[in-house]
Amino acid sequence: MNVREELEKFILNELAVDQDIHSIAPDEDLLMQGIIDSMGILKLSSFMEEKFGVKVTDMDMVPENFQNIESLTEFISSRM
Amino acid sequence: MDFAFDQTQLAFKEAIIKFAQKELNDNIETRDKKAEFNWDGWKKLAQQNIFSLPVPEEYGGINADILTTILTMEGLGYGCEDNGLIFAVNSHMWSCIIPILEFATEEQKRKYLPKLCRGELIGGHAMTEPEAGSDAFSIRTTAVKQNGKYILNGEKTFITNAPIADLLIVFAVTDKSRGFAGISAFIVEKGKPGLTVSQDMDKMGLRTCPLGYLVFENCEVPEENILGREGAGAAIFNSEMEWERSCLFACHLGVMERLMEKSIDYAKQRRQFGKPIGKFQSVSHKIADMKVKIELSKLMLYKIGWLKMQGKKGTMEAAIAKLFVGEAFVKTAMDTIQIYGANGYMTEYNIERNLRDAMASTIYSGSSEIQKNIIASWLGL
Repeated sequence: MNVREELEKFILNELAVDQDIHSIAPDEDLLMQGIIDSMGILKLSSFMEEKFGVKVTDMDMVPENFQNIESLTEFISSRM
Repeated sequence: MDFAFDQTQLAFKEAIIKFAQKELNDNIETRDKKAEFNWDGWKKLAQQNIFSLPVPEEYGGINADILTTILTMEGLGYGCEDNGLIFAVNSHMWSCIIPILEFATEEQKRKYLPKLCRGELIGGHAMTEPEAGSDAFSIRTTAVKQNGKYILNGEKTFITNAPIADLLIVFAVTDKSRGFAGISAFIVEKGKPGLTVSQDMDKMGLRTCPLGYLVFENCEVPEENILGREGAGAAIFNSEMEWERSCLFACHLGVMERLMEKSIDYAKQRRQFGKPIGKFQSVSHKIADMKVKIELSKLMLYKIGWLKMQGKKGTMEAAIAKLFVGEAFVKTAMDTIQIYGANGYMTEYNIERNLRDAMASTIYSGSSEIQKNIIASWLGL
């Protein structure tokens, strides 16, 4: 399973449906671009727990981990 | 799912009901009229270890699991007729104790939690602003870091416990460019220069719970009083809302159970047209509806407890529970008045106050409309 691809797919299909984008660069700032909002971060956390079997605590839901697909991938790898 | 309660949990709930009925209900009508906080009741609740329920023993708590906590709060709602006191307790627990427990440093936990558990410190949190209600993350209060301190400027309103709070979790923008991810939370102690706290705001219900507004004018908060790290405000807020939407609303469930029992008693003894009014379907169906709402509320609230005990998230479930219980609370309180008729409208019957107290439950902790937004969003809409 390619974590990066799975994340991009989820974000495009579930969180960025109202934005006219078809791909996300690994270092693209998801927060600054408004791709992840306060609800999106919760949905993405649940997705990560279900898809990759990692535990995402409330403490983990901070900008550093959710900044871009690169930081999300690193976070997941560190917990797998 | 398995959330069957054991004898110890049920005995705990029973003990809280008896305690609340005996110790917390005196002079409630007078306190409601005068909008007086029950200081004596607050101390007794602390002695009964209510505030310390979810807190580990090393910080002065009794480390109860969340299902026991939910059940206890349900018992408190059933036994305590002072809904304002209950509201103050819930704000203290879910929006001050829990964020400190989950996000604070070890030093902060040891400094604040034991005193919060003993009720020596009263807590609250400050998120809502005049221009940021349902759109919670659009707050404008700023916190600028300068020389080892954060300088806070802005206004907060509708802050539960503000006039009596010793400690507030205050949300402020530390990085405007990052939207919700630029919000941070701070532990602010009362009496800080630059912090003005209003007197109690007059209101329709929950009159025994002090509510006020705050003004921050160059209020200096030590750097070490940040809760979590910069940008963690949204995570802290979401976490406490999930607790509040289950545990506070468990208290409301308890109130609904009490109102249903009162309605049954009244419907049996009040006679019109030659028979008890409970024999008329227009009355009995209202009570049947109450029972349905109570049982479904239990299922949702206990499910959240079970999910949390499994270490799972319950964002959508908490929204469903909050929406359902809040609406059910208002309807149950309204139907109780209708069953009591003119007597229910009179203050001396101790019924009408529950409707005034219930009304805000579809507004606070995210309005019913916001809960529907959350549910819809979770469904991919």
